[in-house]
Amino acid sequence: MSEKNIYKPIKFHLDKVVEETPAIKTFFLSAEQDFNFKTGQFVEVTIDGVGEAPYTPSSSPYVKDRMELTVMKAGYVTDKMHQLKGGEILGIRGPFGKGYPVEKFYNREIIILGGGVGLAPLRCLIYSLLEEEDKFRKINICFGAKTPADFCYKNWFPELLRRERVHLLRSVDKADSNWNETVGVVTVLLDKLRVDWANLIAIVCGPPIMMKFGTLRLLELGCREENIYLSMEKNMSCGLGKCGHCAMGNYFVCKDGPVFTYDQIKNHPDIWI
Amino acid sequence: MKPYSIYIDKWSQGLAKLLQKYDIYAPIKHENYLDYELLTPGSVSAVVYNQPKPSTPLKAFFFPVKENVVRETSKRTKVVIGAPSCDLQALKLLDRIFLEGEYLDTYYQKAREETIVIGTDCLDIQEHCHCTTYGIEPYPTENCDISLAIWDQKVMLQPLTAKGEQFINELDAHDLFHGEIDFTDLLQKRESVRQRLKIHNQNLPDNEKTREGVIKAEDAIWKKYAATCVSCGACAAICPTCHCFLLIDRQGFEKIKNWDTCQYPAFEKVAAGEDPLKKLYNRLANRYFCKFVYKPDMFGEIACTGCGRCIEACIGKINKNEIITEICQHL
Repeated sequence: MSEKNIYKPIKFHLDKVVEETPAIKTFFLSAEQDFNFKTGQFVEVTIDGVGEAPYTPSSSPYVKDRMELTVMKAGYVTDKMHQLKGGEILGIRGPFGKGYPVEKFYNREIIILGGGVGLAPLRCLIYSLLEEEDKFRKINICFGAKTPADFCYKNWFPELLRRERVHLLRSVDKADSNWNETVGVVTVLLDKLRVDWANLIAIVCGPPIMMKFGTLRLLELGCREENIYLSMEKNMSCGLGKCGHCAMGNYFVCKDGPVFTYDQIKNHPDIWI
Repeated sequence: MKPYSIYIDKWSQGLAKLLQKYDIYAPIKHENYLDYELLTPGSVSAVVYNQPKPSTPLKAFFFPVKENVVRETSKRTKVVIGAPSCDLQALKLLDRIFLEGEYLDTYYQKAREETIVIGTDCLDIQEHCHCTTYGIEPYPTENCDISLAIWDQKVMLQPLTAKGEQFINELDAHDLFHGEIDFTDLLQKRESVRQRLKIHNQNLPDNEKTREGVIKAEDAIWKKYAATCVSCGACAAICPTCHCFLLIDRQGFEKIKNWDTCQYPAFEKVAAGEDPLKKLYNRLANRYFCKFVYKPDMFGEIACTGCGRCIEACIGKINKNEIITEICQHL
């Protein structure tokens, strides 16, 4: 067959594995050939003979020869992922999906609302935004976790704080004795912002319950439906808009998403499930 | 293209010779059903023509139950005789899904290109046939290489593609007639079948009305009909348009593309545990939304071609047309 086989993975080397939290690890991969993806797109990762699962890279799309994936232990394939030590070969198909339309965010103020392992695709997005930082008015980052220990990318935050246009706020559901930032669900961070709600871009990624209440709060504050970008989590198999697993009404989340604006999907009954 | 005709015994002899070159499948009658069988020289004369309908949907030739889609396989060219119009129309949607857009499924494409499809008129109807309800004619109009009908001991072959015409010429039969054929008789038969289908299904809502009924249906109706559903997935397996599959991993980074269906539990379940189709009645409703709302919206194609196989296959005796009649009764 001369055409590319859409089902055949290309091989990546797993260089190392870093534990972010007790349930989340970041996998550092390198490719033999440059691999191009847009921020917010995802890849299908195969553990040979075991299974395949979709992840959005957490590294910058400007880095072509390496890729990082941050994975929470949540099911069969992710359990097996967490058993990997480094040195193994993984299969990658993709990139798939539409990702974030960064050019639409130019000259706007941005709010990035993330929770838990939802920080993974958002880190990829933030790296993209920071490549052209002067094109955005301000980048407000609101991150939440259950406890301080449950934050991924602990070493990354000091770097973010040094950025001129970045405003970073963090909250935890349950603080420890060293925590001197906000305590509460991540949406309380929104109340601390002084922003022009009707004209900003909001990007939300996290557990379904956080996505739901985050979106509802953004709407209450005056954010426009078409300016709220949501990363939808769905069961995916092929990633190509063919196998049907990620069907959500008139969309295949893999092909038409995984990033949707709220107004695109608000009428579908199951978006928060 | 001009039609051909040939006496049926010469046609069978020609097919028998071509078995050396092709894997030829055609409907063979079993005790209480008709289905495609791989022909042998001995079974060529037992082929049943112009009867609805093989139990297996045509999609199985292009989208097999189980297929290794990483390791390349070489297969002989297939010839499929006896595809009914409902199955041919279903290929429109499958082609859109597997061939259109950025991601071309080369396995499906190869099977489509290398298979010679001979569609046939349905010159009879079965209890659950209802293609005309959705605007589909009970005879081949497209998506096949040859349209075949038999009358007066003659096989009438209308080539629709160059590939089809080449196959007819490969029959290498001396008495193959090529030229103008008086189709008055066939046209009358077609009209008669069409009328029978219309009368048989006169109370069945069309696809537009069905769409409205599905959207407005209350959960109570889905719950009522889901009461006897056992999630066996037979309705999806025998559906000519159901295309869902699961990629199953094998050592060597190989993938098996295996039929799957939204009727199975956990089809949409995500790793964190959420499952929009957790409840059985949601899965049943999803089937109807997919066929009459989502697929028409996404592709502009209907996803039910009125073959009626899902009614015949359901061990819970769920009758699709009863559901549709009920959800549309007050519209």
